[in-house]
Amino acid sequence: MRLTALLSMAAKAAFPHDYRYGTSRPWTVAARRVNPPGKKRRKVFVEPIANEDWHVLRGDTVEILSGKDKGKQGKVSQVFRHRNWVILEGLNTHYRYIGKSGDYKGTYIASEAPLLLKDITLVDPTDRKPTDIEWRYTEEGERVRVSLRTGRIIPKPMYQRRDGIIPQQWKDGPKDTSPDDALQQTYTPSLKTLEEEVMEKMNIQEDRRPRKSYWY
Amino acid sequence: MAAAVTSRLSAALCRQFQRVVTVSSFTQAHYAAQTISKFQSCQQRAPVYSRALHTSCVRKGLDEFFDLPENWGEPTVKSGAPWTAKQLRTKSNEDLHKLWYVLLKEKNMLLTIEQEAKRQCLQMPSPERVKKVERSMKRLDTVVQERADSLRLLQTGQEKARPGAWRKNVFGKTIWYKFREHPIPWHLNTRYKRKRFYEPLHVTPYTRLSLEKHLKSKVRKERREKRRHKELAEIFPKKTAVA
Repeated sequence: MRLTALLSMAAKAAFPHDYRYGTSRPWTVAARRVNPPGKKRRKVFVEPIANEDWHVLRGDTVEILSGKDKGKQGKVSQVFRHRNWVILEGLNTHYRYIGKSGDYKGTYIASEAPLLLKDITLVDPTDRKPTDIEWRYTEEGERVRVSLRTGRIIPKPMYQRRDGIIPQQWKDGPKDTSPDDALQQTYTPSLKTLEEEVMEKMNIQEDRRPRKSYWY
Repeated sequence: MAAAVTSRLSAALCRQFQRVVTVSSFTQAHYAAQTISKFQSCQQRAPVYSRALHTSCVRKGLDEFFDLPENWGEPTVKSGAPWTAKQLRTKSNEDLHKLWYVLLKEKNMLLTIEQEAKRQCLQMPSPERVKKVERSMKRLDTVVQERADSLRLLQTGQEKARPGAWRKNVFGKTIWYKFREHPIPWHLNTRYKRKRFYEPLHVTPYTRLSLEKHLKSKVRKERREKRRHKELAEIFPKKTAVA
């Protein structure tokens, strides 16, 4: 088989241009069940928001402006950039059964529905009232969200990585490099390649010379 | 790990050779001359192996293929962040060389765990560790490449490690032809001379057509994008200025 054909087979199938993103990631079973190949659904128009203008982060406290939980405040647990959606912990819920099998009806749970970005606002932590925000720079050059009503900075929520680690609270384990060692600068620019430097350090003398070759 | 074992083996081998050389030089002079000429290369590189023997700090042997004993049977093993390219750029070449082997050993260990989990039909504890190590290694490699590139650019002015040239293939497409290393010059290489790097006459009209097709599709794409932006601007009148 031609290499190109093999590569094209190995390459991921492109998304259909009208793929409708949902709450589950496109490669999961749940998403495949909702979007089987060839399925046509009504087009949704998503307001384009540039990455630098996006202002709701996971862990933020926001207030709901419409819907059944209007006026309540909650913590953002998930953010969906493809649909401008946000899911709040335990708010805007409906009830459904999951895990139905045979006679068993399944468990009855409350599941959160996503909220559109225009239906929520950030909450100013100083007076716990909803507010509009703007991205601005501090004097140190840090980009922060500023409440337009009070002019206070809305701090970024504690960042949790996908493997469940909060970098600020991380304690070094036996296999971690200490911050001092990790940040220590040992590089001095020189006119030697890595191989030459390593060979010199390890006392390797290479006196074999390659035969003359031609590049074309 | 594998590297360390091979280096140890080769070091042992080399020491044996050295012993042969020394003993024979004491006893049989004429035989020794042969042996020396035979193992000349080995003897010359002897400091390499002895050095590698000193630097390798293998203490646990095969145990290094397995996780620390306190992590055995744990469902999750916490691990720090991978090395970033920014951190690696401040490290000397020697450090990078060492770090590469540290990462390689860690990766071997993780792959062992993964394989064992697969054999027992279990979920590997914290599979994200493999990705972290792989990312670190990839970044390290990019940093090394960057250094080599900048040095080459400074000394020879060549932008790419492998030379090449823009050429036309038989389909009239301009391609970047990567040069290959040959033992003989091109005018002696009959197989190379059979290659055609020009546009045959009967292909010329199609080249023009394919260019036209490409330009048209480009324009169509631009128009589609513009239309889409316009539609979105109508639906979301306030903030779509950025889009």
